[in-house]
This record gives sequence, structure tokens and C-alpha cells, in this order.
Amino acid sequence: MNCAAVFDQIEKTYTTGLLGYGTGVAALRGVTLNVPTGQVFGLLGPNRAGKTTLVKLLLSLAEPTAGTITRLGEPLNQRRTLGRIGYMHENHAFPRYLSASELLTFYGGLSGIAGEHLPGRVDHLLTRVGLADRRSEPIARFSKGMVQRLGLAQALLNDPDLLILDEPTEGLDLFGRQLLRQVVRELKAAGKTVLLVSHVLNEVEELCDTLAVLVAGTVVYTGSLATLTRDPAGGKRSLEVALKPLYQKEVAA
Amino acid sequence: MNSLPTAIRTVRWMVRDTFRQSLASKLFWLMLALTALCTLFCLGIRVTGDDEKPRHPDQLPTYMPRSEATPEVQAEGIRVVNGEVSLGFGLFTFEVGKHRTDSVRLIQLWLAGVLADTVGVLLALIWTAGFLPTFLEPQAVTVLLAKPAPRWALLLGKYLGVVLFVALHALFFVGATWVAIGMSTGVWDVAYWLAVPLLVINFAVFFAFSVFLAVCTRSTVVAVFGTLLFWVLCWAMNLTHHHMVGYEVQGVTPLSSLSVEVGYWVLPKPLDLSGIFFDALRASDYSTPIPELEAMKARGQFHPELSVLASLAFAAAVLAAAAYEFRKTDY
Repeated sequence: MNCAAVFDQIEKTYTTGLLGYGTGVAALRGVTLNVPTGQVFGLLGPNRAGKTTLVKLLLSLAEPTAGTITRLGEPLNQRRTLGRIGYMHENHAFPRYLSASELLTFYGGLSGIAGEHLPGRVDHLLTRVGLADRRSEPIARFSKGMVQRLGLAQALLNDPDLLILDEPTEGLDLFGRQLLRQVVRELKAAGKTVLLVSHVLNEVEELCDTLAVLVAGTVVYTGSLATLTRDPAGGKRSLEVALKPLYQKEVAA
Repeated sequence: MNSLPTAIRTVRWMVRDTFRQSLASKLFWLMLALTALCTLFCLGIRVTGDDEKPRHPDQLPTYMPRSEATPEVQAEGIRVVNGEVSLGFGLFTFEVGKHRTDSVRLIQLWLAGVLADTVGVLLALIWTAGFLPTFLEPQAVTVLLAKPAPRWALLLGKYLGVVLFVALHALFFVGATWVAIGMSTGVWDVAYWLAVPLLVINFAVFFAFSVFLAVCTRSTVVAVFGTLLFWVLCWAMNLTHHHMVGYEVQGVTPLSSLSVEVGYWVLPKPLDLSGIFFDALRASDYSTPIPELEAMKARGQFHPELSVLASLAFAAAVLAAAAYEFRKTDY
């Protein structure tokens, strides 16, 4: 099976205290997970389960404490693979002094998109996310929903082979949600991979082929949603996750 | 994707972004307004008096304005100069015991060597100290770090962007005040332009330290106050070293002497940078702005090239440490 991302026995412990020599807080405990190519893969779990940490490791935003990760067939130290990844996260803090088109041009330039293709790509994406008529306005004047749509546009700049959406519908307006679903379906149809991180089951249910459930830094389920919700007795079953308060505190990064 | 072109492209984009940030923060216009104010001040200067005469190297360059030159003073060999400086378009006028060119150089010395090199550099350090912490906020930087751009290049681009921004303003300041002084006094001393690289080097060295603090703490307050404290420390170290060596201070323990010597060579040397500019404007002919530096020169212990190189080496080392810290930081 071809995999867009492979996590093998991943541990991540955040150190706290002065110069990082304080107590360690475990965020991931031996996570092993494969994200198959060409699928919409859901990463589901309650808040502070370690979902975002897993994404950060995949994007080289943080280093794993132990274990190995393969990203688009290459080890993490090959940063060039980041050029084939799009990333949208829940709380963008884009430079407020830039306009929508300036922001996309800036990020497109950093993504390595050739100068001659960049203006056309920016125009296309601004139209796609419904911000073409606000292209010259500073982001400071944008609503949260508009900023999220701009976040989606920047994630699509490099026509990614792997799109990572971390809680993408947070603050997204109705148009934005519909657009997001449409984009995910189009990418899947084009054979691209989407990693959708969410704590909302409906969102995952609607879009994902396969999912993994992460609880307190550990993968507790991997497979299809249908299998997860199918009761061996023939009916439907529900998944209930309960976290002990102490353990919640422990995984808080 | 080749790593070197990627790094160069990253630095270029970051420099562009930093310029836009400065324009948006009104800092560009604020600094331009200060330059305009200084230019206006320079346009209001009038200098009259004797022209500079060729001087024998051993001649004592001591002058006195005519109003103060009693016959007794003149009998001592102190020469009388008919010098007059007027400021504020004739609002304030006073006699000076200097030739016309020296009077102009003294004004330039105060403008670039004291006002810009001290007040200007400190203000620039304070005003730009927030650029890096803002950039390094996790919610702002994560999307950038997820791009295929090396982290060190992102940091270097931001650093160079700020330094180039300040260099541009140093160029505006020196250029505008040079033209204004030239137009109002008729003295066009090209040595004044040396202020541009010296101001930029001075700023670049201390801003590197500010970047290091920003990367370690992500706090504007720490970056501002830490850099100001460090600047004071460097001045003190520079002055202490020159005082000890220049005046051959007795009774210093070998350990203290070694500490000062090491501290001097490791830390940036703002006093030496000023000294280079003072030399370019031949400050010792008409004033003694830094006696310790003059004492060092008299002993042949002042090495301006080495001093500049050591300061730049410090900046490079601190930037490398900041880049290392940035590379291994989890976001």
C-alpha cells in the first residue's frame, strides 16, 4: 500500500521549565499509523488528544522524541517534500498588513512557485474562495470566515499531493464549509491525499474513507467509520471516550 | 529543489515582507520624518569665518573666537579665528574659535556621530525589536515553517530585511543632511558619508543580539530591554578597556586585566566605531570627544579594522546561535 505519511512508534514528550530542563509532558505515546495515498484520512479525537502534535511532527514544526516518520516517501529531513504539502490550521494569524493577493503571492513565493505562474495561480485561488473582489484589501479588515477561506487558498497554492486540514471548519462560514467539502472531494478525485484532523465526528463521517481515533496520545482505532460504528450484533454502536482529569492535564501540551 | 536557490529565494521574500511590514507599521514614515526634521535643521545652519589654512603637523591647533582673545592669550600663541555659527535660520548665533570647515565638521560629528549613532541606533533598535517576536508567534509562523523554506533562511531574511531597512534610512539621513549642510555652508565633506556603513554596522551588530533574544524568548519586552542593557555593557567594556590600556592603569589584577581584554575582543565595540568616524572627520583637530580613544591611538593600540571585524564576527556568531535555537524549537 502506498502511503502519503507513515508514523512508526512515535513518541513526543514536551519538556517544560527553564531551558526545557523541567518535567516532561507526554503528548504522543507510541503512535503507529499509515495514511494511505489517494484517500481522505480522518484523524479523530477529543481536544488535547495529540492530533495537532502529530500534524506538527509531520510538517517538521516539532521533532519527535522517538520513532520515525516518512513523508511522501521520504524522511522528515527532506524539506523539499513540504513543497508538495498544503497546510491549513484552525487559527491563522496572517500578517495583517498584507492584502489577500499579497499574502498569497508571498506564500506562493516561499513555496517555490515560479514567478511567471504565481499571479495566475493567486487570481484563480482568490476567485475559488470567493475573495476575488477583496483581493487588495488588508487582511486586518477580513472576518474570521474570510481569513479561514484565505487559509484554504494558501494551502492549495502549490497544488498539493497531501493536504492537511487541522480543524478546518472552526470559524468557517457556510460558504466556506461547502467550499471545503467540494475541494476535498475534488482532490480525492484527482488522486491526492487529504488528512483531515477534527474532533467533530459528523465532519469526518461525511468526508473520510478511513480514520484513526487518537485518545490521550495513543491510537485506539484505525479503519473505516462503518466498521467502527458497526455493532457485531448487527446494529449501530457508539464510541464513547472518557478522559480522567489527571490524564487530561498530563497530555496538555 | 536545490537548497541554495531555495534559501536565496526565501531570504529575498522575507526581505520584501519586512519592508512591507515597516511601511504598514508607519515606522518608515516616522524615521523619514525625523530625517526631514534634521535636514531642516541643517538647512538653517550658517557658518562664517576664516578658511582653513594648511597646517604644519607639529602646530598646536588651538584657536579662540575674537571676542575671547585678550592680548595675553594671543601672546601665548593661541590664534584668533573670526568664526561664527548660526542655527535655526539666524535664530541663534554664536562665535566659535574654529575655522569654517572645522565648524561644519563638528556639526556633522554631532549629527552622525552622536545623534544618529547613539540616539538614532537606540531608537531603531527599540522600534524594530518587535519585528521578530511578532514574526515568531506560533500562530503566525507555523504556516511559514510548513513551507519548503529552511528555517535559518527565514530568520536571516527577516534580519537582513530589518538591517536593509535601517541602512536605507541611514542613507536617507546622511544624504539629506549632507546636501543640506553643503547647500547652507558651502562645505561638501565626503568623509561624512562614512557614517552610513558605520551606522549600519553598529545597528546590525546589536540587532543580531536582539534577534537572538527574540528567538529564545519570543518577547518584545525582553528583546528591547535586553538589547539596551547589552549596548550599555558593550560601551562600558569598550571604555574600560581603552581606559586601562590607554592610561596604563596600575594595580589591576591579572585576572581583571584578562577579563577586560577578552570581554573587549569578544563583545561589539560601539566606541571604536564612533572613533573611526571621528577620525574620518579629523575630530582631534577641533575637539577631543573621547579622551580614552585618543590615549589608545597615542599608544598605537587602536586597530580600527580589527575592531570592526571582531564586532561583525560577534554578530555572525550570535546570528548562528539564534538560527540554531530557531531550528530546534518546537512550534
